[in-house]
This record gives sequence, structure tokens and C-alpha cells, in this order.
Amino acid sequence: MINVDTIYIVDDDTITAFGIKKLIHKSISCQTVLEFKNGKEAMNHIQASLSNGGPIPDLIFLDINMPIMDGWQFLEEFLKIPFNKKIVINIITSSIDQTDVNTWESYKSRMPRRLYYNIKPIFSIDFKELLSADIAS
Amino acid sequence: MTLTTVNNLVKQLPTPTALLDTDFKLLHASHSWLEHFDCTRNQYFGKCISQLPQFIESQVLAQLKFCLEGTPQKLLFDTNASATQYKNYQFTCTPLYNENENIIGIILQAEDISSYLENEVRFEKLENLLKDQSEMTKVGTWEYHIATEELTWSNMTKKIHEVPEDFQPNVDAAIDFYISGHERNSIAMFFHNGMIKGQPWTTKSKIKTATGKEKWVITSGKPVHRGNQIIRLVGTFQDITEQEVAEQQIREREQILHTLIDNIPLNIYIKDLNSKKILVNKAECDFLGVPNPQELIGKSDYDFFDEEMATKLRDEDLEIIFNEKPVFSKERMVATRAGKEVPMLVSKIPLKNLGGQIYAILGISMNISSLKEKENELRKLINVTSEQNKKLINFAHIISHNLRSHTANFSMLLEFLMQEQDDKEKEKLVNMLSQASQSLMETLENLNIVVDINTNINIEQEHLDLNEKIKQSLKALEAFLKQKKAKVKIDIPAGTTLKAAPAYLDNIILNVLKNAVIYAHPDRTPVINLTAKKEGDATVLSIKDNGLGIDLDKYGDKLFGMYKTFHNNKDARGIGLYIVKNQVEAMGGTIEVESKVGIGATFNIRLND
Repeated sequence: MINVDTIYIVDDDTITAFGIKKLIHKSISCQTVLEFKNGKEAMNHIQASLSNGGPIPDLIFLDINMPIMDGWQFLEEFLKIPFNKKIVINIITSSIDQTDVNTWESYKSRMPRRLYYNIKPIFSIDFKELLSADIAS
Repeated sequence: MTLTTVNNLVKQLPTPTALLDTDFKLLHASHSWLEHFDCTRNQYFGKCISQLPQFIESQVLAQLKFCLEGTPQKLLFDTNASATQYKNYQFTCTPLYNENENIIGIILQAEDISSYLENEVRFEKLENLLKDQSEMTKVGTWEYHIATEELTWSNMTKKIHEVPEDFQPNVDAAIDFYISGHERNSIAMFFHNGMIKGQPWTTKSKIKTATGKEKWVITSGKPVHRGNQIIRLVGTFQDITEQEVAEQQIREREQILHTLIDNIPLNIYIKDLNSKKILVNKAECDFLGVPNPQELIGKSDYDFFDEEMATKLRDEDLEIIFNEKPVFSKERMVATRAGKEVPMLVSKIPLKNLGGQIYAILGISMNISSLKEKENELRKLINVTSEQNKKLINFAHIISHNLRSHTANFSMLLEFLMQEQDDKEKEKLVNMLSQASQSLMETLENLNIVVDINTNINIEQEHLDLNEKIKQSLKALEAFLKQKKAKVKIDIPAGTTLKAAPAYLDNIILNVLKNAVIYAHPDRTPVINLTAKKEGDATVLSIKDNGLGIDLDKYGDKLFGMYKTFHNNKDARGIGLYIVKNQVEAMGGTIEVESKVGIGATFNIRLND
């Protein structure tokens, strides 16, 4: 079984967050799963963890359309942080808007690790695929 | 008569006279002769006249001989009367007869004609000059003898009338040359007054010449008196047709120019180098609110604008004078006398004289208020259109995100439910499904509200008392505010009104107040200040809190957006402000936020009054 230390779920929709959590626990063993209502809350937590040595996530499930700080703004802030750990980000969105797809394409090349894009509904998560990409690279 | 008597007689003759014998010897001479020819009696008496130094022998003797034959002669002489004086003399030689009718000598009489000749030359010169002048200026003369009723015209006068040189004018014929009616009557009156009252005159009139050509002439006349009596009228007659035609053309051109500048819908003025006006048109008078140009001539911008504006304009003039370069189509706001600011399009052009030196500035300006108004209307229209377009896109976005989000949740939960074996877990999933259904219902209700707001364009708006409305909202929130220990201060002048749909205004005030309390700073009691002020035709309601504040650079654009988080969630920022914004804009108003992180936020709601 795949073992992951820390996973963030950044989504203002409680049902989606519930679904993701359920799929995580079904497929892998994970010590810490943290939920955030928007990008700002998640970013605050990352920064706090960096300063107090708390857990830095291995994988982030990121929604795009959120209040206060949306998914794209989160990625912009994320790119400014010099992590010594490569983090996989998996976008889960209900958006079928082509401009969102285009934005994802533009962020993909700038990310240190893979940046995935998934359109809801999600019924399963292939963690092997998600995390093995890193091993391959 | 004795010889002595004769001698004395000759001596005393005033005209220089000499008596010669038949051999042309000088017998007697008058004192005047001796004086004239600068000789003494002793020297030349008894000697032939030809020996006088002034005479040239051959010329004189031949003629004197003719005289001896009985023919009186006239001799013309140029001679040096003395060493310094050159004179012209005319000598008259008359044979001297004795009682027996025999010629016994010659009487020689000299006449100094120098000055006469000189005058003759001068006269000729003057005459030529006069003729030339008359030709050049087309000035003829006329003369009328009252006693003989004889009218004479100079050649030029005849030429102007286009009559032959032998034409004999008379007063009636002369007056008939003037165009009948006023012209003819007035010349007859002038002539009459000149003759009777001795009044001189000068008048411009029109004549019809002998060939039927119309000419402009200036006729002058004045009386010549002898004693108390007027005996003649003399005067000049000048053809001024060319000048008159040229002048008329200039006048016509001026007329056109004046008509043009007075009727063109542009303000036109000319300023001298001291920026004082020397010409203004009607539009400029109207603009500055004066009835006629006289009130503007000689005045500067300091007389019409405040010091600051006038100095600015003067500086601009000086720059044009200095650089000799025009300023074209400059846009500026100008305060009229009525105190209204109007946009003007101004051009200033340096005017140069023929020598190339600047002597004035020509200003042309146009009131472009109506143009600007149209432009603004157009801009507003574009803004409305683009705003509506934005709303449409936003709405489409909401549909694609929000509705899809719910349906995706349904799919996911149903899929989980189908695969779930555990009953407890199944129950949980069913609960979640009902929650999702509830959420979808809410979303649809909210979307319906938004659609309502945006389709109900002609929503009924009333003048509402702002204090009254706020009181109502506070009552509705009483429990909530008490629970949160929030303090609300209202500082709005009594009687402040605004125009709004009552239900919308209620919702707007409620939402903003709630928001202010929800985002209160954890370290301090929430204090909310409500103020209002008039801004033109609008009333601006400001709701200021001392809460967390918002980083507008980062999150400003998300503040009024629509998200999945609704008011039943812990985080209430969802559709509330989205609906508020839609309601404000549906009533033709605006809503804006000012904020500093950690200090608070102020919502400014601007609505028409």
C-alpha cells in the first residue's frame, strides 16, 4: 500500500472534500489529511509549517473556484516558495471552461513536479499514477 | 520844346531809353538806361551803340538798319547787364522822325523781361504739372460765371463726362449728367446754395456719362467773391470710379468676412500683444455674456476670468508671441460668467504683418459641451454594454461552475452509495445527498434572485428616508448584533433621502452590516460607522467597520463574486455581496470598497437621489 505523509485538500465545497477524503482512505495510508476552505487558508498553513517545522504536504488536491484566494492565485504564491521537497498538485474542478484548461497548461511547465487537471465528478483516484510520475522523473 | 527840355525828358524817362543817330551813335540816354547797362555817359556817348560791351554787333546792327528804313523792330537780347547779373531784355527800336517826316535817328527802349520769362517758364512748368496731375488723379476743373451764366469745363472734366473737347456745357446739362433722383437733386441744391449763400461743398455722387457709363465722382465747388458779391463758382471734378469700385469690393469682402465671423458658431477674437482684445465676434460676445463687442474691446482675460485662469491664458499668449507658433485644437475647461465650466476646443494663431512681425493673436474657440455630452453618453452606453456583457459571462461562468459542481457531487455520491457495503456509511452518504440537494436548491433560488434583479429593469424606485431604512435594518439584526457585541454609530443628517427599491435597499444594508460583523477583528469589539453625504445628484452611504480588512490588490475582484459557499456555511461570504452588487447596479448605482488589512473596510454605496 502506498504510504503518504501529508495531504492537503483545498476546496470550499464540503461534499467534494468529503469525497476526496473517502477516496484517500480507501486507496492509501496517509497520516495527515488537512482540509482548507480556500487558497489563503492553505497558504497560511504552509507558511506556518515552514517556519515551525510542521508537515509540508506531499500531495495537494486543489479546487480552482474559491472565494478570497482561488486555485490559480494559490499556485502563483506557491511558486514563490523555495521548497526543498517536491510537491504534487492535483487540480479537481467542476469547471469545463476552456480558459481554465489553458491556464492549467501555462502553469504545468512552471511547476517543479507534476500538475494534474481533473474534472469532477471523480469516482476514483489513481495514486500510483499520481505519485509514480515523480519517481520516473 | 527846347533841346534841353528834350534832354531832360529823356533823362527822366522811367523806361531805359536811348536816342541814337543814324550812325547808331548814342546821343542821349535816360538815367535808367545808364543804370541798367552799367555805363557812364562820358564813356559811351557819341560812340556807336555796338560798342557797348553788352551788345553783340552783328545782331544789333542788322535790325537797327531795318529800323532806319522805317520799320519799328523788336529785339530780344540775352545779355549780361553786369558782371554778376544775367538778364533778358527786349529792345524796342522806333524810328525817330523830324518835322519833315525824315528819320533822323532811333529811339531804343529796353525792357527787362528776365522775370517775365522766368514766370513764363514757371507757368509752363506748372501748367504741365497740373495737366499731369489732372491726368493722373483724374481731377478736372470747372468754372461758372454767374453774370454770364457761362460754365466752362477743363479738358479733364470733359473727358470724365466723355464729351468731345469742343463740348459747350451749361448748368442744366451739367446737372443732368447726375443720376436722376437723390443724386441730381442734391447736386442742384449744392450748386444753388453755393451761388446764393456762398456755401462751399464737396460731395460724392454718381453720374451717367455721354456714352451711358456710370461713374463715381467727387464734385467740389466754392464761391469767388468780389466785394460782397459772389461772382463766380469754381470747383473740381474728380473721377473716383476706380477707387470706389475697389473700395466697394473691399467693403463687400469685409462684409462677407464680418457676416462669416459673426455667424460662424465659433468664438473668434483678435488680441494685441498685451493680450487685449481688438476684435471679437458675436459668438464671443454671447459666450462672455456681453451685448456688444464694444464691451470687450481693450479688455483682457483678467477682466473675465479669475487671476489663475487669466495668468494661465496670458502665459499661453506670451508663448505664442515668443515662439511664433500656433496652438491648435487644445482642449480645456473654461468657466463662463455664469460660473459654469464648459469644455472648449481652442486654437490660437499668431498674426503677422507684411513685414513678418507678430502684431496680434487670432483666437478661435468652440464650446464642445454637447460633443462631450454625446461622447459621455456613448461612453456610458459602452460601459453599460460591456458591464452587461461581463455579467453575462459571469453568469455563464456561475452556471458552469456552480451547477456543474452540484451535479458532479450527485454523481460522485451516488457512485459511492452504489459501491458502499457498510450501512452506516450508506446512511452518511444519503445524508450528504440530501445536503447536496438542499445546496442545489439554494443555488437555484439564488440564481433566480439574480436573474430577477437583472431582468426587472424597470424596478419601482421611491424616495426613501435613509435614517428610517437603517433603523429598520438594525431592528432586524438586533439579536445578531447583540450576540456579537457590535456597536453601531449612525451619523446621517435627518432628512437624507435616496432613490431606491425598498426591498433592495433593505437587503443591501443588511448584507453589508452583517459582513462587517462577521469579519470583525478578533482583538477588538466591532464598531460600525454609518455616514452619508451628497455628491452631485447622488447620495453616498458609507458603512465603515474596524474589522479584518481585505487586501484589495489580491482579493478585490473576488469580493463581489459568486461562490459555492452560502450563508448557511460558517464562512458566509458567498452570494450575499454578489446579489448586493447586482441590486445596486440594477438601480443605477455603484458599490465600492476601501480597505486596509488589519484596520477595517468601508463600503461606499452610491445611489441616485
